[in-house]
Amino acid sequence: MTASARLPLLLIPAALFVLAIYAWPTLLLMRNAFNEVGPTGAMVEAWSLKTAADTFADGFTFELTLNSIWLSLSATAIALALSYPLSLFLFRTDSRWKGLLAVIAIMPMLISSVVRVFGWLAILGDRGLVNGLLQSLGLISAPLKLVFNWTGVTIGLAESIMPYMILALLAGFGQLDRTLEEASRSLGASPFRTFMRVTLPLSLPAIALAAGLGFVLSMSAYITPKLLGGGRVFVLATEIFEQATTNTNWPVAAVLAIYTLVLLLALLALSNVVAKGLKR
Amino acid sequence: MSYLELSGLQKRYGSAVAVDDVSLSVAKGEAVALLGPSGCGKTTTLRMLAGLIEPNQGMIRVDGSEITRLPAHKRNMGYVFQSYALFPHMSVARNVAFGLEERGRPKAEIARQVEEALAMVRLEGLAQRRPRELSGGQQQRVALARALVIHPSVLLLDESLSNLDAKLRDTMRHEIRSIQRSLGITTLFVTHDQVEALTMCDRIAVMHRGRIAQIGSPEDIYERPATRFVAEFVGRANALPAERGSDGRVTLWGAAQPVTAPVEQAFDIFVRPQRMRILPLSEPAGDATARVTGKVLRNVFVGDHVEVLVEGAGGQLTVEMASGSPVPPEGSEVAVVWRAQDSLPFAREAA
Amino acid sequence: MPTRRLILKTGLATIAMPAVLRSQGAGAQGLSGQITLMSYTGIFQDNYTKAVVEPFLAANPGVKVNYAPGGTSAQMVGSVRAQKADPQIDVVIMDVTTSSIGNIEGLFEKLTLAEFPVLDELLPEARAAGGEFGPAVTFDHLVLVYDTQNLKPPLTKLADLWRPDLKGQIAVSAPPNIQGLALTAMVEKMEGGDYRKSIDAAMKKLKELAPSINTFEPNPDGYSLILNGVVKVATGWNARSQLYGDQSSGKIGTLLPPEGSVFQINTINLTAGSKNRAAAAAFVKYALSQQAQKAFTERMFYAPVNAKAQIDPKAVARTAAAPESRANMIPVDWNDILKVRDQWNNRWRREVIAAAR
Repeated sequence: MTASARLPLLLIPAALFVLAIYAWPTLLLMRNAFNEVGPTGAMVEAWSLKTAADTFADGFTFELTLNSIWLSLSATAIALALSYPLSLFLFRTDSRWKGLLAVIAIMPMLISSVVRVFGWLAILGDRGLVNGLLQSLGLISAPLKLVFNWTGVTIGLAESIMPYMILALLAGFGQLDRTLEEASRSLGASPFRTFMRVTLPLSLPAIALAAGLGFVLSMSAYITPKLLGGGRVFVLATEIFEQATTNTNWPVAAVLAIYTLVLLLALLALSNVVAKGLKR
Repeated sequence: MSYLELSGLQKRYGSAVAVDDVSLSVAKGEAVALLGPSGCGKTTTLRMLAGLIEPNQGMIRVDGSEITRLPAHKRNMGYVFQSYALFPHMSVARNVAFGLEERGRPKAEIARQVEEALAMVRLEGLAQRRPRELSGGQQQRVALARALVIHPSVLLLDESLSNLDAKLRDTMRHEIRSIQRSLGITTLFVTHDQVEALTMCDRIAVMHRGRIAQIGSPEDIYERPATRFVAEFVGRANALPAERGSDGRVTLWGAAQPVTAPVEQAFDIFVRPQRMRILPLSEPAGDATARVTGKVLRNVFVGDHVEVLVEGAGGQLTVEMASGSPVPPEGSEVAVVWRAQDSLPFAREAA
Repeated sequence: MPTRRLILKTGLATIAMPAVLRSQGAGAQGLSGQITLMSYTGIFQDNYTKAVVEPFLAANPGVKVNYAPGGTSAQMVGSVRAQKADPQIDVVIMDVTTSSIGNIEGLFEKLTLAEFPVLDELLPEARAAGGEFGPAVTFDHLVLVYDTQNLKPPLTKLADLWRPDLKGQIAVSAPPNIQGLALTAMVEKMEGGDYRKSIDAAMKKLKELAPSINTFEPNPDGYSLILNGVVKVATGWNARSQLYGDQSSGKIGTLLPPEGSVFQINTINLTAGSKNRAAAAAFVKYALSQQAQKAFTERMFYAPVNAKAQIDPKAVARTAAAPESRANMIPVDWNDILKVRDQWNNRWRREVIAAAR
């Protein structure tokens, strides 16, 4: 055997590991999707598509899908708008605090999401920081509803995916070189034109990477929608969680989980096609 | 009549001084090299010229108008970067067109000028290639075409040849020099390579510790170095420890020489190795000839010349002889002679 | 299913019967090894460990009880379901709505009177809660929890929720949470209806309440939101509310609405295929005994299921077993509600929560 022919053998342990920790549970999950649920919630072992058919016949599933996509798009857009300049600064700064600044930027990742959510409650609540400030300035008379609704979930979710997006951006900025911007300036392009013609196009791969990651993380996030949504925000992830842990309805949870997975793969494939089209 | 003028330029980073005090006048069409070791402030000076760094003090004037605080994109200077800095997401043609597009030139004119610029650097067929598909020399030419196509007031080259292999560097040196001459464009080179400086420029400014140590023609710099640093940095030199008698005459390696020196403190006599000759001990030296004696330690064949290493009472020195001429055998006692006027006295630096 | 119907209103009257005090379950011969008990975490775990588990351990020095916090009741039945082939949990205490699922799926054992004579001491409705399976081990009921320091005047009835000064000050656990299901039945009754026929009146009334509701999903729970000043009123369970009231020096107030309330029942269940069945069965017997029932009721104000348990009247007064509580209870069959849960859930989403956006 040649060295290159032996190479695949080296992948066997890793493949077995992935199979054991990922593929097997996924198969078990898929199995549940074919079970049925009795009138009081007891699971009936079966090989049937009835659960799936009922789930997709329910208009609420479609509503959840739109909600999930819309929430993920808006959270990703906000997070990108905030993390792009931040990452660009971190990527370029020569400050000796660079390391510390980077750690601060990704710090939220190290904090339990529950703690983070309570932080947001203190900031966005009726008697929170934002409302307190606006009221003391006399700008509003009654508190704005910033939490326990879509606004709160969007803000909280954007914040929770930012560290991951910052890391993705920093990793993707490889092609970005200060000298290229200087070359652009020396050729007569203003700082703004330089950003539009050089910096932005060269960071597109990083932006695509970060946005894809942010979108996937948003689609699968359930803690933030659950804790900041005040029971008003229904997305696929919260519905899966609810069906599995409150209704004991594993078959519906499994159907929705597989549906979400397929949806994500389809959306990623679509974005890939679009990205390739843009490149041309 | 100076076209480009720098006066009293200074750049500090905190307490570190990158450029201390640089003043320089360049005539229109002239090519000047900023030559010096790394850290001497030559690149910083160039970047201040281009507007990429703001000076702490001093003034820059081009063609009579002051541009010291003008933003980089309004300076109309062509800058060729050491790494070429070609835009990887654009074709060669788009790279070259960039500056013209930013100036809002009509499309047809841009196309024509890009074509001409690429023809000038002999890259006609490669307009649609991406930079990464080009060789180093081709990338260098694109960078040059991109900087020249905007008809810059001044062309700035930052170590532009240092990333090329030796053979290509030689070719590019001549190519750039001939383009520069034919366009008559005022040019500033930054280099640490003395051959580059000597061959490509009308004048050389040798920089040392943020200042210009000497400025002059290549011949001036080589033959008449103004400071010990210039003598050491440009070309090769033997430094012979010297003593000065009460009459002002100099003693080298224990032998009195027909050389006078005005210097008061401890000093060395600098002699270029190729200005020295080797004679048998028996042959007398002429009146205006300096002479020391020693033993041949080693002969090193370098191709176009042979280096003969001689050890005497005051240390070692190297003599360069044209290859092909008879070399003294190793171990033989010889006399080393040179014209007295080729002796350059420089004070010894305090250690 | 008349046997499963939990008509608790009358049944609890027997609670005041004098009981013969005797040791039950404790000190059984030759028990050893380890069992795993799964139930709620937090203050339930703390108090149940002190009041029931530790005395059981003292009486059975050979046995070790591992208390595994199981999350929600649905998560607990999920854990047992996932381990069906190789059970790691021996005894589970959870809500009757989920234990009934486990009973149907064969996850739990039927308990016989021959083996568990203590079943005879239980209130009829406690035994009925599990049918032939594990019986009720605690009774609780839905209450309104409120901030006694910042709510003036205090809450006196369910209808007070619609007070204009409570706008944005209420936390309600919406369905599928059983608090939301219970509240629906209570509001329907308040409006003169019967949840078994229709919840239209409740939906109409709750829709009017929607703008007052701060969150439909209080996290971690309504008591904490009141203590943190986020809301002033929440739905909650009596036992926990009583305990939080004591712990907060009276900041938390507990109101049993005069319009009526609904029982919540926890059952105790013996896992089918338990690896240490003898010790697990002994624990179930002990948990239902007069001694354990008395200790836990006096500690955490869950109403007892053992009719013979002799409990401090002061503690009884704060539980669902108190006469004034019993008089207000709406007879609810959780199995009936489970069947309409999805439907109620959808109506809440479309009619109530949608009105509060």
